[in-house]
Amino acid sequence: MKKQCCCSDRQGDNVSLAELPVGTKATIVGILSKSRGRKKFADVGIVPGTELLIEAHAPFGGLIRVKVMESSMALHKEDAACIMIEKTETDNE
Amino acid sequence: MSKKFHIVLAGNPNCGKTCIFNALTGARQHVGNYPGVTVESKSGSFSLNGMEIEVTDLPGVYSLSSSSPEEKVVFEELTKKGIDLIVNVVDSTILQRSLYLTTQLAELHIPMLLAFNMSDDARKKGLKFDIAKLEKYFGSPIARTVGNNSDGVRELKEKMAEALAQLEDHGVPMLSYGADFDDAINAVAQRIDALNIEEYKHIPSRFFAIKLLEKDASAVGIKAMKPVQEEVDAQIEHLKGKHAIVADTFMADRRYAMLSGACHGAISFTQEKRREISDKIDKVITNKFLGFPLFLAIMYGTFWFTFICADPLMGYIEDFFGWLGGVVGNVWDPETLPFLRDLLIDGIIAGVGGVIVFLPNILFLFFAIAILEESGYMSRAAFIMDAVMRKFGLQGKSFVPLVLGFGCTVPAIMATRTIESERDRKITIMVLPFMSCGARLPIYALLIPAFFAKEYQAFTMWAIYIIGVLTALIAARIMKSTLFKGEREVYLMELPPYRMPSIKSLLLHMWDRGRMYLQKAGTIILLTSIVLYFCNTFPEKKAFSVDRTVKTAEVQKQKTDAGNLENARLAEKLEYTISGRVGKIFEPIFAPIGFDWKITTAAIGALAAKEVFVAQMGILYSEGEADEESEGLRKQLTRNYTPLQAFCIMIFSLLSIPCFATLAIIKRELNSWKMAFAEAGALFVLAYVVTLMVYQLGSVLGIGTKML
Repeated sequence: MKKQCCCSDRQGDNVSLAELPVGTKATIVGILSKSRGRKKFADVGIVPGTELLIEAHAPFGGLIRVKVMESSMALHKEDAACIMIEKTETDNE
Repeated sequence: MSKKFHIVLAGNPNCGKTCIFNALTGARQHVGNYPGVTVESKSGSFSLNGMEIEVTDLPGVYSLSSSSPEEKVVFEELTKKGIDLIVNVVDSTILQRSLYLTTQLAELHIPMLLAFNMSDDARKKGLKFDIAKLEKYFGSPIARTVGNNSDGVRELKEKMAEALAQLEDHGVPMLSYGADFDDAINAVAQRIDALNIEEYKHIPSRFFAIKLLEKDASAVGIKAMKPVQEEVDAQIEHLKGKHAIVADTFMADRRYAMLSGACHGAISFTQEKRREISDKIDKVITNKFLGFPLFLAIMYGTFWFTFICADPLMGYIEDFFGWLGGVVGNVWDPETLPFLRDLLIDGIIAGVGGVIVFLPNILFLFFAIAILEESGYMSRAAFIMDAVMRKFGLQGKSFVPLVLGFGCTVPAIMATRTIESERDRKITIMVLPFMSCGARLPIYALLIPAFFAKEYQAFTMWAIYIIGVLTALIAARIMKSTLFKGEREVYLMELPPYRMPSIKSLLLHMWDRGRMYLQKAGTIILLTSIVLYFCNTFPEKKAFSVDRTVKTAEVQKQKTDAGNLENARLAEKLEYTISGRVGKIFEPIFAPIGFDWKITTAAIGALAAKEVFVAQMGILYSEGEADEESEGLRKQLTRNYTPLQAFCIMIFSLLSIPCFATLAIIKRELNSWKMAFAEAGALFVLAYVVTLMVYQLGSVLGIGTKML
């Protein structure tokens, strides 16, 4: 997996949501301050500490579908790149 | 009791709030728009144990922040005076996320009633709630509901009656967010109290204090609260020093932390089922390979349902109005008030009939859309199409309205309501008229067989449609990078589990849209048809260059050509009327794009409704009752025009505004006459310029100047 190294306000080897394959379970560790969607994300439960599951990628790309707090949300790759996560487990289907 | 109670329904999108609203009010509801925004407002009323209750169905929101027009509306509505009870509809299958909004509603300290909706699904899913514990925590009674079931709101009504009887001593608590945070909130709240703002006296200052600390745009925007901003900033700095917090989301973190405490022990899980079935369906429907073909098939199905299934009904309506005109014509003696008689029969009955004929289309279309939306497919379609549409400055949800635009632009524009982003929605509406609508088809169907050899006919038709689609996509792209420039909006869309739509809400939805169509578009078309009738009739020509009445009588004996003479008489009559004169006046302007005065008259008439073009050409070429199957009219046309001119007519019809109803609906949806007229003007200029280029280029190169 490609590691992202341009995150200015986080160190360590965290990866962003945009880089994970379908089927991965992960916990959010932080949301980059450059993200304009932080408040919107917070309102649907995308806050540090929440667990999420990558459900699908859209057929023509662009959107990523994740399950968070029991509901399914679609968001953009660009926005997902600002959500830093820590893998918890992978189930390969 | 004579007091009228006012309750509001608040909740997340997709929580089934509208189903509850429909179940409570039935058809006693009013749909409108909040002033200045395109957010739909819904209100209704019902009586309960003799109490008269007015309900407002607020738009679905995740939070009371102000990150969307809906949230701003909800913030404003909830801070208004006069709300007796908030009914917070909660999707009980996703309780934790749904209660996030509840914590914010509690801060308003207005009596609250929680409706745990989809309780049947929650039970199937194996969720068990400690209702007593949760009731105590939020200080609000909880009713379990099943929104799409008529019996599902009985418990809600019972608890509502109880709550309304004892509004004075409700138990909505002041929620605690942890010592340091509460201190900061209290410090700001005290400063707000000191300001003594009359407008917001009915709401605890705590609510505003929290909103200010969250840097909520609506709260920060309240002028009267400006003086406390300094205190707010100081408190945020203070909190930052003590805790590692992020200023705009720390309250969200606190709320979730508090909720997980509250829900701990109050919710228990056994197994998960409903979502599983839904996920299985999604494995197919949003599949990388199957997703797109399935989407096209569903779109085709919608299209087929709207335009093919509605067709017989349209035929009946047409027959009915034909019959009605005939009956009136028979009853009303032609000698008494002949002008009013003609206006009623040829103007009003024919005109109104022309509008109502489209009603089955509208109803069927919105029935289909309601199924797609309520079942949850619409968000899947948007998920699949998003990347493709985004290349052209649109988004996933623009696709469905654009496809519907091939049928009729009016309902297609109404269908853009599903697009939340104001900017994307505006662009979609503005480019929709380029999708070649059904009313333009008769023009193509008349001209193409007349001017193009058989082997080119299908291609020409296809080319016209493709030109429309390409123009729409290019225009969207250009608008996105000029008129509607700006940073990409953060896109977040929920994909709710698949659900069986309830017949009641499907029918209500269909009825709403149908009524809207009749009211708004109907009045405009009625007016236009009266005006057009005047223009086509006056001034009346009494003396003709040839006295054909006598001749007709003569010829009629020989049973030849009588119709032709009658039609020639009509043509001369028409040339003398306002329509004819207007055509002549504008002829010099339209000459460079290949239109003579006859086409000009028809083209101007077609601005009102594209169907008018064929009818008008029929009258002008003395074919009387013309439709696209008229062989005689085709012969006349090929004698007078070139294929290039025919092509120019089609291009012009394709690119100019489809009809006045479209103009009226654009005004309605964008809430501005200025935008609507700007759109009509821009379309006209574009149509003119493109047709000019085609005609001039074609003439110079000699393409299509002779019959193919």
